[in-house]
Amino acid sequence: MKIETIKSGVKISSPVIISYIALGIACGVVLYDAGMSVLGIGIMSLLVYAGAAQFLAASMIVLGASIPSVIIMVFFLNLRHVLMSASLSSFVKERSFGFISLFSHVLTDESYGLNYTKFREGNWSTDEAMAMSLSTYGTWVMSTVIGGAIGSQFQVNTVIMNYALIAMFACMLVLQFVSREHLIAGIVSAGTTVLLMVLFKHNISLVIATVFASFVGYYLEVRKNRHTKPEFEGSNEIE
Amino acid sequence: MNSQWTLIAGMAVVTYIPRLLPMLLLSKKEISPSFSRWMTYIPVSIFAALVASDIFFWNGSFNVNPGINIKLVPSILVFLVAYKTKSLLWSITIGLGGITLLWVLL
Repeated sequence: MKIETIKSGVKISSPVIISYIALGIACGVVLYDAGMSVLGIGIMSLLVYAGAAQFLAASMIVLGASIPSVIIMVFFLNLRHVLMSASLSSFVKERSFGFISLFSHVLTDESYGLNYTKFREGNWSTDEAMAMSLSTYGTWVMSTVIGGAIGSQFQVNTVIMNYALIAMFACMLVLQFVSREHLIAGIVSAGTTVLLMVLFKHNISLVIATVFASFVGYYLEVRKNRHTKPEFEGSNEIE
Repeated sequence: MNSQWTLIAGMAVVTYIPRLLPMLLLSKKEISPSFSRWMTYIPVSIFAALVASDIFFWNGSFNVNPGINIKLVPSILVFLVAYKTKSLLWSITIGLGGITLLWVLL
């Protein structure tokens, strides 16, 4: 990997890196308070690398939940990565098993959002994608360890730091409105998510809403194509 | 905590499988045009779900009172800025500025 590649990869991730430092420290603090050692926190961030799951684990342990119940909740929380992993698969066709093994491990909501947005813009190589993802990975591991080591002497406003990431996703969302059908899919997904979250109070709502809304968007597109051009074949020029 | 290694191992397995398998299996396959058309609706739906599951909730409950849920007003600004500038950095800056201001004021 060339230095230029690493530089351009890392440049893109700077907003995520800043948020990960703050959220990572906060996550390290709560994991330490939940009874984990600093070494354990570091190994967890290396092997699990999922912020929401690590926060969830900390709060469940404090509430006295059993280990299996935490693991099951984490599984459902992270099912959304199935869709992200599938969505990135078309960009890594040329890459080896080793590359995909590591690249998929460093897939988070944020790295997915950045990489998908950049791949779609074009001139974004898989090496840049890897460099970018590894920079946020390294940041997360180090920040959680620092959080665990300094303990609760350091206060982070997680509402505000988390909102930096939400603002980023909101912008990525707007960039995805490439057709009327995509706009409708977004609105359907948002509405369904809120409805299911209110009903079930569980993050699996995001996965169900995403699958449902993507089918709605796809159905509308198929219907439109059937009406406008009956002989449509390979009309993949929409983007 | 003695059981932290069991916890880490379990979490690592259930986190890695959903991340690895779809990318690994689908990248080795020829994907049908209709499947890849459907896949173009996944990102927009994911981002909408991530944003909606966050901004309409305050302390874990549905809340659309802009005086309490201070994420709502900045979010409108972020959408406008994102639409006008198409810039991640501007969106984050305006969003952070907005929510920090409300946090201090309210």
